[in-house]
Amino acid sequence: MLTRRTFLEAVGGATLVSTRPTQAESSVPRKIAIITTIWKYLSHAQHMGDRFLVGYPRDGKWHEPPIQVVSLYVDQKPEGDLSGQRAAEHGFKIYRSIAETLRCGTDKLAVDAVVIIGEHGSYPTNEKGQKLYPRHEFFQEVVRVFEQSRRSVPVFNDKHLSYSWKKARQMVSDSKRLGFPFLAGSSLPVTWRLPPVEIPYGAEVEEALMLGVGGSDAMDYHALEAMQCMVERRKGGETGIRSVQMLEGEAVWKAGDQGRWSKRLLEAAFSRSDSLQGDSQLDSRPQDLAHNGQLPTLAKNPAAYFIERNDGLRTTLLMLNGAMRDFTFAARLRAGEIVSTQFFLPPTPNVTYSACLVAQIERMIVSGRAPYPVERTQITSAMLDRCLDSKVAGHRRLETPELDVSYRAPQ
Amino acid sequence: MRGSRRDFLAGMAATSPPGEATRPAGRRPRIAALTTVYYKYSHSQHIIDRFLDGYGWESRHHRPPMDVVSLYVEQVGDKDLSRERAQRHPGMRIYPTIAEALTQAGSDLAVDGVLLIGEHGHYPVNEKGQKLYPRYEYFQQVVEVYRQSGKTAPLFNDKHLSWNWDYAREMADTAKQMGFGFMAGSSLPVTWRQPSIDLPRGVELEEAVSIWAGGIDGGDIHALEALQSIVERRRGGETGVRAVQAVRGERFWQALESGSWEGGGWDRQLLEAALCRSNQLNPARATYSNVFPSNRDLRRLAPDAYAYRFEYGDGLRASIIQFQAAPKQKGGGVVGDCNVAARLKGGDVFSVLFYLPYYSMRNFFSPQVHHIESLFLTGKAPYPLERTLLTTGMTAAGIESLYQKQQRLETPHLAIRYEPTRESTFWRS
Repeated sequence: MLTRRTFLEAVGGATLVSTRPTQAESSVPRKIAIITTIWKYLSHAQHMGDRFLVGYPRDGKWHEPPIQVVSLYVDQKPEGDLSGQRAAEHGFKIYRSIAETLRCGTDKLAVDAVVIIGEHGSYPTNEKGQKLYPRHEFFQEVVRVFEQSRRSVPVFNDKHLSYSWKKARQMVSDSKRLGFPFLAGSSLPVTWRLPPVEIPYGAEVEEALMLGVGGSDAMDYHALEAMQCMVERRKGGETGIRSVQMLEGEAVWKAGDQGRWSKRLLEAAFSRSDSLQGDSQLDSRPQDLAHNGQLPTLAKNPAAYFIERNDGLRTTLLMLNGAMRDFTFAARLRAGEIVSTQFFLPPTPNVTYSACLVAQIERMIVSGRAPYPVERTQITSAMLDRCLDSKVAGHRRLETPELDVSYRAPQ
Repeated sequence: MRGSRRDFLAGMAATSPPGEATRPAGRRPRIAALTTVYYKYSHSQHIIDRFLDGYGWESRHHRPPMDVVSLYVEQVGDKDLSRERAQRHPGMRIYPTIAEALTQAGSDLAVDGVLLIGEHGHYPVNEKGQKLYPRYEYFQQVVEVYRQSGKTAPLFNDKHLSWNWDYAREMADTAKQMGFGFMAGSSLPVTWRQPSIDLPRGVELEEAVSIWAGGIDGGDIHALEALQSIVERRRGGETGVRAVQAVRGERFWQALESGSWEGGGWDRQLLEAALCRSNQLNPARATYSNVFPSNRDLRRLAPDAYAYRFEYGDGLRASIIQFQAAPKQKGGGVVGDCNVAARLKGGDVFSVLFYLPYYSMRNFFSPQVHHIESLFLTGKAPYPLERTLLTTGMTAAGIESLYQKQQRLETPHLAIRYEPTRESTFWRS
């Protein structure tokens, strides 16, 4: 199993960069519209949008995408807004509505692709702790322009499709109805991994455990999609979700004692962490956090997201704030082998994981094909939404026949 | 699936080099650790702690199958951790001298491996900017015990062998004469790489660059070890270095502008490739989080930059470019990580980031300790000592050229030949 090579091939990671000119790339840049909530320093729109404007490091070169940002819609302009400065410097226009942004002042669709970044900004939060970003609403306005213009172009949606599984389903179904390429999701599935491994395609997976940190519903989403991009490669592909349950606090440790999540996989996932806290923070010593008894004192408010799949696979996300600061994964294969890795998030301000994601967006825009299925993001959006339903429903297990999203991962 | 450490060890011949103490089958190796200091974030803390407390490795919390039984710490200050460690790990005793640590206060060598970690601590700095760590002096005390005992044990030396070339040469020669396994160097050659690749063995190389953030001597050795771990794989193996020239100040900026070796600098495209592997490229423009710097930006961000340009025996040219900020410069510096790029014959460019996990655990010491374990179990260095002998000499020669007003210096003493390992030894599993 030469996982490193297959992984590099899968993500198109060139190891040697030819200095000879290639003719593959079109000389006419694709025109894109960016639809975003805010554009401030270190916001997703700034990290990702800027890469279309000033390029980004890729395969050992400063890559300038064959893409031209021609129009921008920005929903809020808080203090620190950079949209006006970027528009002036890079020669694109800011419009007052999404429809105008897509039409660029004409009466029909006038761009080759749309990038929706609905992250950051002031929006209400519901009782489940979900921030009600208007991604679905932005998307619906885009779809209306497509329908009126009788033409559709590729769309990228940053992070989950929506806080609501129903809205997420609607978005995917609209993209299929109109037949446009639709890519979405987190940067974690496409960032560097330490080590660079995948679940061998078609392997039988017995159990999977993801470890993550951060708040809900921003960071648990990233962790769930990282887990999803690993387990979707199992034998038979993704079959949908039978049930979900979220536990918090002491119940998380009890569930571990009862074998509902694997302590062996916890050790494996911790072995990939570079950021164990407690004694490792105090004086930098390494520690066996899976067995030394410190975990409950470090992770004071743990959460467990139990996702049971239709084919019987049990997958769990543990959010362990206070115990670590990175995102790691471990799975046991039927053959007994354990696959484990860290989804590496390079530091601020470069956050080059966003360059990894923009490279995928660019692939879709240039080729007209999404490099991986939007169903990955749909099912992840849905499992998170339903886990949060479980949270507010007294942490009950919920049957989820509505999450019958099945799909095959690219090899 | 790549060979695991166990497969690797099982595949190694289990014979001891001549003169080496033989360890009864089944007894765990006993290790002595010799260090200048032992405090948080010191190299000794990172390395010795991994033997004492284990470390995450390939889906396990791995505990090395050996015991650190004795410790010598030269400087014990307020921040010292050695006493806490000895208390928590009573199997490790602290001794007041190197000889006692090696003999466990007996008359004969009583350990099966030695860790020599001479990094950090208060030591004088010479007129060239080299910190005079007593690695050679420790080494001499170790081999004195070996001689008196009539037996030896494998030895690991952290970072370069010495600040002084003659000392380094003598250390390497002594180990060879006495026949004990000797491993040394930086953690950079064995840490994660992005992408996770090695130079294909046997390719023809024309030029290479290694970039980082400066630090005469202490920083140079890391950038050089990273560079050397790549270029040593070229066709014909390593042949050594025949000359060096340092550039700094106005000459550095002229070298940068020239954009070529012939112009007195380095290939512009190789510098771009190295900068484009960085995950810590200091943004040259306010409000942009990741932009490619112009030469003007580089000058503003790293006014104290310098470089060493090396001519190898077989014609390869290589530079380490140290983008050093001015002392106390706010927001200065160009890259926070080490990146290497190399041009193959025919024009293709190879480039890679040497990733050092930067959280408090500093896990880049884990693959290094993994290789030290293999040294202690097999008696053989997992990669050639000659790499570090050469980089030690290159570091000293580069500093000498800086000191001699950036004169080009011939380095006949660095005609060091060696073959790299067949298998890559960096962290990838």
